Amino acid sequence: MARMSERTPWWRDAPPSRPRRVSGGIQIHTARGSVAQTWWSARFIEVLESLGVGGRLARGRTYARAGQTLDLRVEPGAVVARVQGTRPQPYRVRIGLRTYGKAEWTAVEQALADDAWYAAALLAGRMPPEIEQLFASLGLALFPASGHDLSMDCSCPDYAVPCKHLAAVFYVLAERFDADPFEILALRGRDRETLLANLRARRGGTAQAPDAPQATPLADLLDTFFVAGPSEASQLPPAPTPPDALLDQVPAFPIEVRGHRVVDLLRPAYRALGDG
Amino acid sequence: MFAVHGLWSPGRGLLLWAEDGERPATTSSRSLRSARPHPFAVPSAELAELHPGKPVIVTLLLPSRRSGPVASPELVRSAPIRAGRSSPSLLPWSVPAVIVDPTELDDPAEQVRYGASVAHLREMLRFADGLAARGRVLPTLVREPGPEARWRLIVQGRDAVVFDALVSALPPVGRAERQAPGATTGPDPGELVGDAVAVLTDTAVRDRLARADALVPLVPPRRGRVPRRIPVTEGWLAALLTSDGRVEADERELDELARALEPWDGVGTESAGPARASFRLTEVGVLDDPAAPDGPSTDQTGDGTRWQLQFHLQSAADPSLLVPADRIWGGGAGKLARLIGEPQELLLAELGRASLVYPALTPSLRQARPESLDLDLEGAARFLTEDAALLLGAGFGVQLPAGWDGGRRLGLRLSVRSTPTAGVVTRSGLGREQVADFRWGLAVGDDVLDAAELDALVAAKAPLVRLRGNWVTIDPEQLRAGLEFLRRAERSRAGRHPPSAADVLALAQRHPAELADELPLPVTGVDAQGWLGDLLDGTAERSLEPLEPPPGFTAWLRPYQRRGLSWLAFLSSLGLGACLADDMGLGKTVQLLALEAHERAGLPASRGATLLLCPMSLVGTWQREAARFVPGLRVLVHHGGDRIRGDGFADAVAAADLVVTTYGTATRDIDMLAAVAWRRIVLDEAQAIKNSLAATSKAVRRLRAEHRIALTGTPMENRLAELWSVMDFLNPGVLGSTERFRQRFAVPVERYGDTEAAGLLRRITRPYLLRRMKTDPNVIDDLPEKIEITQHYRLTREQASLYQTVVDDMMEKIEGSDGIARRGNVLAAMAKLKQVCNHPAQLLHDGSEIGRRSGKVARLEEILTEILAEGDKVLCFTQFTEFAQMLVPHLCARFDQEVLYLHGGTNKRQRDEMIERFRSPGGPSIFLLSLKAGGTGLTLTAANHVVHLDRWWNPAVEDQATDRAFRIGQRRTVQVRKFVCPGTVEERIDEMITSKKTLSGMVISDGERWLTELSTVELREVLTLGAEAVDGTDE
Repeated sequence: MARMSERTPWWRDAPPSRPRRVSGGIQIHTARGSVAQTWWSARFIEVLESLGVGGRLARGRTYARAGQTLDLRVEPGAVVARVQGTRPQPYRVRIGLRTYGKAEWTAVEQALADDAWYAAALLAGRMPPEIEQLFASLGLALFPASGHDLSMDCSCPDYAVPCKHLAAVFYVLAERFDADPFEILALRGRDRETLLANLRARRGGTAQAPDAPQATPLADLLDTFFVAGPSEASQLPPAPTPPDALLDQVPAFPIEVRGHRVVDLLRPAYRALGDG
Repeated sequence: MFAVHGLWSPGRGLLLWAEDGERPATTSSRSLRSARPHPFAVPSAELAELHPGKPVIVTLLLPSRRSGPVASPELVRSAPIRAGRSSPSLLPWSVPAVIVDPTELDDPAEQVRYGASVAHLREMLRFADGLAARGRVLPTLVREPGPEARWRLIVQGRDAVVFDALVSALPPVGRAERQAPGATTGPDPGELVGDAVAVLTDTAVRDRLARADALVPLVPPRRGRVPRRIPVTEGWLAALLTSDGRVEADERELDELARALEPWDGVGTESAGPARASFRLTEVGVLDDPAAPDGPSTDQTGDGTRWQLQFHLQSAADPSLLVPADRIWGGGAGKLARLIGEPQELLLAELGRASLVYPALTPSLRQARPESLDLDLEGAARFLTEDAALLLGAGFGVQLPAGWDGGRRLGLRLSVRSTPTAGVVTRSGLGREQVADFRWGLAVGDDVLDAAELDALVAAKAPLVRLRGNWVTIDPEQLRAGLEFLRRAERSRAGRHPPSAADVLALAQRHPAELADELPLPVTGVDAQGWLGDLLDGTAERSLEPLEPPPGFTAWLRPYQRRGLSWLAFLSSLGLGACLADDMGLGKTVQLLALEAHERAGLPASRGATLLLCPMSLVGTWQREAARFVPGLRVLVHHGGDRIRGDGFADAVAAADLVVTTYGTATRDIDMLAAVAWRRIVLDEAQAIKNSLAATSKAVRRLRAEHRIALTGTPMENRLAELWSVMDFLNPGVLGSTERFRQRFAVPVERYGDTEAAGLLRRITRPYLLRRMKTDPNVIDDLPEKIEITQHYRLTREQASLYQTVVDDMMEKIEGSDGIARRGNVLAAMAKLKQVCNHPAQLLHDGSEIGRRSGKVARLEEILTEILAEGDKVLCFTQFTEFAQMLVPHLCARFDQEVLYLHGGTNKRQRDEMIERFRSPGGPSIFLLSLKAGGTGLTLTAANHVVHLDRWWNPAVEDQATDRAFRIGQRRTVQVRKFVCPGTVEERIDEMITSKKTLSGMVISDGERWLTELSTVELREVLTLGAEAVDGTDE
């Protein structure tokens, strides 16, 4: 543990625990309360919180909000991240989780292919709750049940596990999982593309590459240069939905404004749109 | 004349540029390397006078020949140019343009033709505004350029189809802006339209929010101290309302906000792709369905059918392209496979997304290859009434069973019987209470349910019922309320008076939504028999007994005119305002005069006077025709500087039967006119009040009268709002408030072609509207084959003073000459006066803009508007080529269409080609001919209107020209109009020609030579300008 450089006098007065500022790091959005927005990411946070001591978790959350996490990669069997702490060299953080074996994945993929609901929900951005049962029926657990299922390492000098850096990575990871539940399956050994391709193969479909249509060069349109193209505009009236219907269909917005949900703040404006 | 084009320039906005038919067609610059200045583009400053905006120079790639760009088809050149022989190629031109505000597109300039590209910009604008109005937007953050808060459009479902239509409709000229030197492809239409619609939608949302009645604060109000630094989310929300959307925040905060917005930024992008899920509700016959071995258990209806919701992928670009789920699972997506990479994943993602909106879908997905969802009867009913709309709203496709019609709901129906129309007395006021019988019933759509069917419905207790072969949803609660209402109505019927005719009319005419408070169910219809039914059906005119022309009426009424008279008298007796909208030339004036004579026959004069408002040019016509057809009618013309004002007015009105005034005068004197209790207000050319907000319309609404009539050949020229204005004047409140009308009728019908709304509108207005066409078989037999109409107009002040100068000058010359010299002077005077009557510029040869300097041209435009609105074609004859050359570009611009012009210099090949094009159904509608070149020999029976713009003082010559249209092969009645200005040489000679006795003794040889035989005194009389030639007031 090297002493801090004397060439940075402004640094000396700062509290020793304050980490170096990072620009371009990964920040989490939730301003307060629970970080995990979905039940599936909450399962990881629960494990973390079952292990952690309050102070470290809170600092970890502060780290996560401040964007101290420089990068985070979900690999088969491990989450690898770098977190900027007080030292110039970022800490290396790793959370390991057992991958399934080939035979296990074959069974999982078959089960998923047999029930389109799972892929449909995952593709729509949600982890279907029934998936736990599906894994359980194959003798597998999708989520870690306790800290024993996870291996946690951090290159920081803190003796405690989880340290605040590990905690920060958990929080960032939770948001990653919120946005894309496929990442949990990737952690277990099947990335999204491979999984979908395998499911398709079990379903018996083939992949085809799309051809992007090209714009006709103007030089080929000289005869009809000033004429409108063919158009069969729909005469269907739009579905009679209220102007604020969209607000009921959007995912939750993670930031609140002084205790108000953004959707509630927008709603009067949407209603006013329909009056003009 | 200008032809204006437009394009969307990314980063700059709406850009207009124009071609000018007066500028040279070619450039002398031979450089083919760089973009040369466009030789006939309108300079920015000149264009900015029509459409104010920021001037810019753009490089456009246009079809060109070596020496210049090829003109657009909208451009009319005053001097024709030789068509080049080489085939055109694409060359860059440097073109002045203006960047304009979107509102400029709704404000077209006169004298200008707009190309298809401008119409396309307008369509994009409308689409963007529709998205904004329906809240199909989500806020987002744009970093480059920025940071800015923006409203991002969500294009799903039907909107995606419209968007794709906009992309394919983009005319090439709309993407003619060169992106980089050497580039020749032009921007991608999809990207260009996408950028345009995105920016326009953002603008439309901000405009709408800025216009909103109440201020919409997006940020909650702060109590206490405002912090030094506003959190980025608040700043961003506030910026959603500002005009530039600028967000002040540092990069870190922006990153945070951008990440928070990621899930929202994903909304709408997933299905904006080329396909979406579509759900088709179908009825499957279980008896024929081998896939349903369960037999009776799946038979949910009891009659051998079950309901199924089948999953498809549907192309967004071509909604008719549907691929069923089983083919997608089988790996064959057919044509769609070319458009989408992974149809299976797309279908799965769509189904997953749909299950959020429609959770009942989930169980059907619990299998390897979901294809459909089995629905029970309640489920199918719920889908039809609720879930389908939710799915549509979330961007999915929905197809409902054939024969299903959401409009067929359970409703109330009223049956009324009244005395037969034929027996109705129209003389005295008709009792509004003469309703004989009246009964409520329950109906589905147009089917009234009988007792047995009602019993069956009650017994069914299911929401989806088969009724007379079609499925309908019946809400048991509504059914119960309906039956209860019938029982109450039946009980009170015994004790109470039946409703008056007025009540029934009101019931039939009100919008269903307005009755919701009083009745448990919507009123789906009124079955009325007798006169009430005829009135509601709009058939009263045919059922009424035609009235005899009243005593004291000197004209002979044609049969259809007598029916029109009965109809007017009938509505008058009911106190209902009437709109007589017969085609031009069918004699609306005569019918109205007959009504006045009919009502006043045998009655004391104290009935009160009728006030008639008309355009200035028609005051004389009314005055003359009234004197001719109803000599006993006391007419007061309230018009001009010397009109009666103040105390004397009431007395003058008391002594009159008909007071004729102009719209302008009435607006000025409205306080005085509104103080009189009129028997009737008549609006002639009632489209004058088409804009309900104009001063004239507001003034007219203040007038009080027992009865109101509107006369017009075009009850609606452009927009439904015009119909509202006329109808609301006739029967105030009949179509609801303007706002309501816009919401219920104007927007659905005009924007979305909603036939149901159009039908309802027709039903509400038809009792008050009588419109007969010349082509109507009931009318056509009554018509002569040729109708001669003298078209009166007035000179402008400029024309009048010019006329006077010419008369003074020429009379001096004529008096001082004799023999051949005198003859020459007389003919010269005639020619000059005719030119003045045509247009001042024709005499002054100043080549100036046509403007509003000629009363004749103004009147001609009115007439052509009516003719073109009918879809008819017209021949216009003039003897002056200079006048014709002025008119051609002017009329082209005014009516935005080609005007054919045949003159002495036209060679035979060109002439044959013109005649052929005029004859073809889609060809030009206006044919201008010089009297000499076109007056003989041609057959132009495609036209059923002939207009003589200036007079040739020889009836034979004019008749010969008229016969171009009125000859063998003509199947319609030909209307012939001759322009005559009262108080000028035109009117005096017209009178001389018509009254043969004045002409006796004169030998009418060929031409106009006979005029030179008139004595100087006679000549002075003929030429002098009368006071009636020009109007005393400016309108």
